[in-house]
Amino acid sequence: MFVSLQLLHMSVFSQSFSPCGRFLAAGNNYGEIAVFSLSAALSPDASEASQKPILNFTAHDGPVFSLLSTDTHLLSAGNGEISAWSWAELIKKSTKAAWTRKPSYETSLEIPEINAMIINPKENSLIVGGGDNNIHIMDMETGIFKSVLKGHTDYIHCLCFKEREEEILSGGEDGAVRIWDSRTNRPVHCIEVFKYEECARPQFGKWISCLATDSDWMLCGGGPSLSLWHLRSMSPTSVFPLPGCQREAVFYQDLIMSVGEGPHVSHCLHGGTVKAQIPCTPSSLNTLALNLKNTEHRVMTVGGSSHQIDVFTNFSYRAFSLSF
Amino acid sequence: MSSDAVKKRKPKFIRNEAGTPETKRGRAEGDQVTHPAGPRLIGQRKLITAKNQDVRVYNEEVELEDRDPQQDYMLYKDTCADLAKLMAEIQELKSGGAKVGSVEIEERHRQCSIHFITLKKLNRLAHMRLKKGRDQTHEAKQRVDVLHLQLQNLLYEVMHLQKEISKCLEFKSQHEEIELVSEEEFFQEAPAEISRPHVTRDDQHQLTLARLDWELEQRKRLAEQYKMSLARKEKIQKAIEQKREYLSSLQPGLHNIMQASIPVQEYLSMPFEQMQKQAEVARHLPPALYVLMVQAAAYGQACDKTLSVNITGDVDEAKALSRRPEDSQDDESDSDAEEEQQNTKRRRATVGIQLEDKRKEMLRRHPLSLCVDLKCKDGSILHLFFCYLMNLNILTVKTKVSTAVDLSGAVSAGELLNSESLLNCLYASDHGKETPNPVNRYQFDKVGITTFADYVSDLGHPYVWVQKLGGLQFSSDGAQSELSGSALSASHMERTMKLLRGRLQARLALHKQFSSLEHSIIPVSSECQHLFPAKVVSGLTRWTMMSYQEFTELGFVQHVLKAGLVCETDLFFMAVVERGTARLSAAVVVNPRYPEVMPLFSLSLHWKGERSGRTEDNLRAMESEVNVFRAELQGPRPGLQLLTNQIQRLCVCLDVYLETESQVCDGSEGPKEFPREKMCLRTARGPSRLKPFKYNHPQGFFSHR
Repeated sequence: MFVSLQLLHMSVFSQSFSPCGRFLAAGNNYGEIAVFSLSAALSPDASEASQKPILNFTAHDGPVFSLLSTDTHLLSAGNGEISAWSWAELIKKSTKAAWTRKPSYETSLEIPEINAMIINPKENSLIVGGGDNNIHIMDMETGIFKSVLKGHTDYIHCLCFKEREEEILSGGEDGAVRIWDSRTNRPVHCIEVFKYEECARPQFGKWISCLATDSDWMLCGGGPSLSLWHLRSMSPTSVFPLPGCQREAVFYQDLIMSVGEGPHVSHCLHGGTVKAQIPCTPSSLNTLALNLKNTEHRVMTVGGSSHQIDVFTNFSYRAFSLSF
Repeated sequence: MSSDAVKKRKPKFIRNEAGTPETKRGRAEGDQVTHPAGPRLIGQRKLITAKNQDVRVYNEEVELEDRDPQQDYMLYKDTCADLAKLMAEIQELKSGGAKVGSVEIEERHRQCSIHFITLKKLNRLAHMRLKKGRDQTHEAKQRVDVLHLQLQNLLYEVMHLQKEISKCLEFKSQHEEIELVSEEEFFQEAPAEISRPHVTRDDQHQLTLARLDWELEQRKRLAEQYKMSLARKEKIQKAIEQKREYLSSLQPGLHNIMQASIPVQEYLSMPFEQMQKQAEVARHLPPALYVLMVQAAAYGQACDKTLSVNITGDVDEAKALSRRPEDSQDDESDSDAEEEQQNTKRRRATVGIQLEDKRKEMLRRHPLSLCVDLKCKDGSILHLFFCYLMNLNILTVKTKVSTAVDLSGAVSAGELLNSESLLNCLYASDHGKETPNPVNRYQFDKVGITTFADYVSDLGHPYVWVQKLGGLQFSSDGAQSELSGSALSASHMERTMKLLRGRLQARLALHKQFSSLEHSIIPVSSECQHLFPAKVVSGLTRWTMMSYQEFTELGFVQHVLKAGLVCETDLFFMAVVERGTARLSAAVVVNPRYPEVMPLFSLSLHWKGERSGRTEDNLRAMESEVNVFRAELQGPRPGLQLLTNQIQRLCVCLDVYLETESQVCDGSEGPKEFPREKMCLRTARGPSRLKPFKYNHPQGFFSHR
């Protein structure tokens, strides 16, 4: 009874595919991480049981808002702490954390959450953004937090890394998209999206909850409408007429895929039109992940306010659901 | 002879005259009439009158005796011939022309007259003679009659005597009916003075007499013996009577002692007497109820003094039932087989009636039932009535709650203490609607019962735990099959009794809470005060009951229905929490196992359009805040404050929701409807921008989970 009650109120906040592409890790609001076997779920003789996690463990006290896979490890962000789990160990169903690190926070009343983590592959550093409005950069070799980027006036929702320019993009509750130079750790730009009339939606708010980049292009959305920006000119080129607030958007080939409020995955064209809205199980979606590392298991998974994670093998319809 | 006759006649006349003088006179007159010539002849007739006036004899009568009738006849003939001659002479004379008054005629007239007189006299004499003859005949006849009578008398006497003789001959003596000892025996046993063989050897009569004497002798002796025995018996009886009297005089004394000892027994809480009585009745209980009774009583004695077990029902009927041989089941199957054969022949209507009867028989209860009373600290009592269905071999239970305080008032609480649903799901998913005995299904098929649920209201619920308490184990749940009978009952008794008590307490607590909820007051006990901020602006405005149907029609509960968390046996309520223009509807599902299972809230907010937990993450977070965190909300064990705490938390969450919502929209126009009063560290957090619904007690601020 209690378990099904927990399932009813479960939300999936984060996902990450294993480096081999055969496993999917998902984090929920109870601080649990579940590891699913995609190869089992996608095999022709898949049964009900193969849609259940092969491993389910409590990683953190608070919700797991962010998951990230390195070549060997799964990094998970809980309440103010980052833990690393060896994928090899996880597959063997061992749930001992490889290491746990905490950024140094100034406030003591509340432990800030970590909303986003990305890797800077050039420096082999981990960029972490969350509830304390600052971006912390940790050296993956030593595990030391080497620098802090301050500028946001409210908590940070999302981060993005532009590899060519070695720039960090961050979007926050304050409605600004800030662009930082990762080499100098200095702010380069600040775009206040809600001030652009074509994007602004005052009835929702001004926060930026999703960010994605592709060469000179940037996607951002949240309170303001999801919009495609040309970074060199710093101007919105197209605004997508999606009704809800978007929480995650990615570029995929010539498409833009976006999830947010509403039980569907939106396929948009760069030109600003919504090509399709694919229905899915959760009533609102938090996370979208594409498994591009393994051609055998090329899938898209979405999770949200449900204990189920929808799996799309063909991106135009939901194939099945993994379930916590 | 004649004189004799005359003499005899005389008194007769006298007698006649004296007796009937008028007839005499009449006859005299008649005589005169019949004989008109009479008076003229009186002069010639000499009436001899005797000195005694009474004796009157006619002279002629006397004369008559001297005369010869033959002579008279001759005289008569002569006279007639003379008369005829004279008449002829007169005729001749007359025809000869003689005058009437001539001498010859006169002469002849005179002669004629004389002849007439003679004729008259003769006539008279003839008459008298006739009369006399008649009298004589009569007299003779009378004599003959007398003689005949005598003869007859004699004949009768003879006959009577003959009859008497035959009667005597036919007489049966009583001695023939007396059974006598046989002759040989008689001669052997009887003393010589009685048997007198020298006389009796030859004389049958004497022998019989002797035998009778012997019989009498023997009987006298036996009578003596009988009398003696009687006397002895009398004596013994008297002794018995005396002893009995003594015993009965003991009883009131003993009774008094018993009566006097009752307070002592009660004081020492050793109800020997009651137990004894109960044990007597308990012998007639069916095995399942007996096990239940023994185990419940044992548990009551060992662990729970407030538990009491009583047997109710018709003991006599149960006695009769237990005396009946145990072959009823065979009968059943036999008759069933017959029935099936006959069914094909019989009409449908009769089959219907028969089925009805058979159904009744199948669902028959044992006449004795067990009443277990569980008392709570506040004085409320949970009465459990256990019945045994003999033919189905299952136990059922009916419940009743009697409370110490009056519980009227709360409309929505009607279902809480409803005996139908009070014990639903005491253990998970034990609804008590279907019979737990798999055998019953086939029995039902036979008589056309589709489901036992139709009879539950009448017979009680066959919960699985009831069967277990009665030591009945059906193979469907084979996990504990190694236990049976008393051991099975004992293994479940304590937990079940605790659950029952918990259930009653929970329901009573809910009942109390509901009546204040209906008055829009959320009763938060002092122990739970720390869970909520001091100031809560949102308030409950409505608390009503819903049916399952109504619940399923609500749009914002579909995800709960889909998750399979709702059962038809649950209780459904609608709570409305309002603050200003915002109106939060909460559909509440209360599981029968409350508070073990948390009530489930589904939310829908009417404020600037409609939002529900399905579409909005913050409302969903509120739902989980209310539904999931049992440990925080349940308060002191066993968590009777759970529901009210949940509702109170809902109010707090609505406050937070509304106050932080306006914060977000501060860029928009107008004064805020809901000024920020709650202290929040952050208004939003995480990717889904949840509001801080968690209250931190001593510091009094709200934070995120």
